Amino acid sequence: MNCRNIHKRLVFFLEGDIPEPEAEEIAKHLVQCPTCAAFAEDLKKTLQIVQLEKLPAVNPFFYTRLKARMQKEAEGVVQPAGFQLWGKVLQPALFSMLLLIGIYTGIKIGQPVSGGESTIDYAAQELIPYLNEMEAEPLEAFLME
Amino acid sequence: MNETEIIAGLKQGNEAAFKELVDSHRQIVVNTCFGLLHNISDAEDVAQEVFIEVFRSVDKFRADSKISTWLYRIAVNRSFNFIRDNKKRKFHSYNELSESKKELLNQQVQEGADTPESDMENNQRKIILHEAVDALPQNQRVAFTLNKYEDLSYKEISDVMNLSVSSVESLIHRAKKNLQKKLYHCFKKKCI
Repeated sequence: MNCRNIHKRLVFFLEGDIPEPEAEEIAKHLVQCPTCAAFAEDLKKTLQIVQLEKLPAVNPFFYTRLKARMQKEAEGVVQPAGFQLWGKVLQPALFSMLLLIGIYTGIKIGQPVSGGESTIDYAAQELIPYLNEMEAEPLEAFLME
Repeated sequence: MNETEIIAGLKQGNEAAFKELVDSHRQIVVNTCFGLLHNISDAEDVAQEVFIEVFRSVDKFRADSKISTWLYRIAVNRSFNFIRDNKKRKFHSYNELSESKKELLNQQVQEGADTPESDMENNQRKIILHEAVDALPQNQRVAFTLNKYEDLSYKEISDVMNLSVSSVESLIHRAKKNLQKKLYHCFKKKCI
């Protein structure tokens, strides 16, 4: 039996799934061939990992968590009617109202305070003389002095 | 409480019967899910889904098979649904390890002995084995997992998978051959 044939049958040899004469032949080959022996050892170690992984410790609170999840899911099934009304109708309506209130407040803040008289007239008559001295004292009058 | 009483209790919504079912079968369900998912937290999540499905659909259960067969079937289906829904999850492969880590691993393997280093080697082997098992076709993967992680006989696996015993035998044979091929490939590349 050559190395290639051994490689094909090695997993069955390690698992004891092959007839006795063939198993003996493979065992003999492994003694003589270090490469096949190394692969057999590697394969054996890797397959043994399954045994190490078997029966992982289950969480002692498994049942408690399961019940909590079932309860949560049951509440989730009941919830949608109220949840949908809030999510699809009330929430957009609330945000729309807030937006409109915001716009209205903005407009109100932006509007100038209106007194009894026009603001343009007030500026022309009361403010400009103080701000623009040139109008109060024309250049000609200044030079004449 | 025997199986018939548990089923009868479940059909009446009896909580004690449900607790009995969970306590007596949680280990096999978690173990099966773990064999397919390789992560204890995910396995427990899926196992919870399995028991919830059992609780909700107990009326559909036909008494001609064992509860455990039914549970295995649901556990396998739910695990594959979980895998399908979580395809984006990335598993670390050996190929992603840097050269320095490979050198360190090789050095630790040579030292052998029951040390944290040999734990590291085992972890590396776990990754390689999981990748090899995950790469198997679905039927081979299920048959191999039920046989190796749950020690189910070919007959029991055939009941779970709705196949003949000879088909299961053939699936496991091919699964082992495929695994050996992948592991030999890894051995040649000196993965560990």
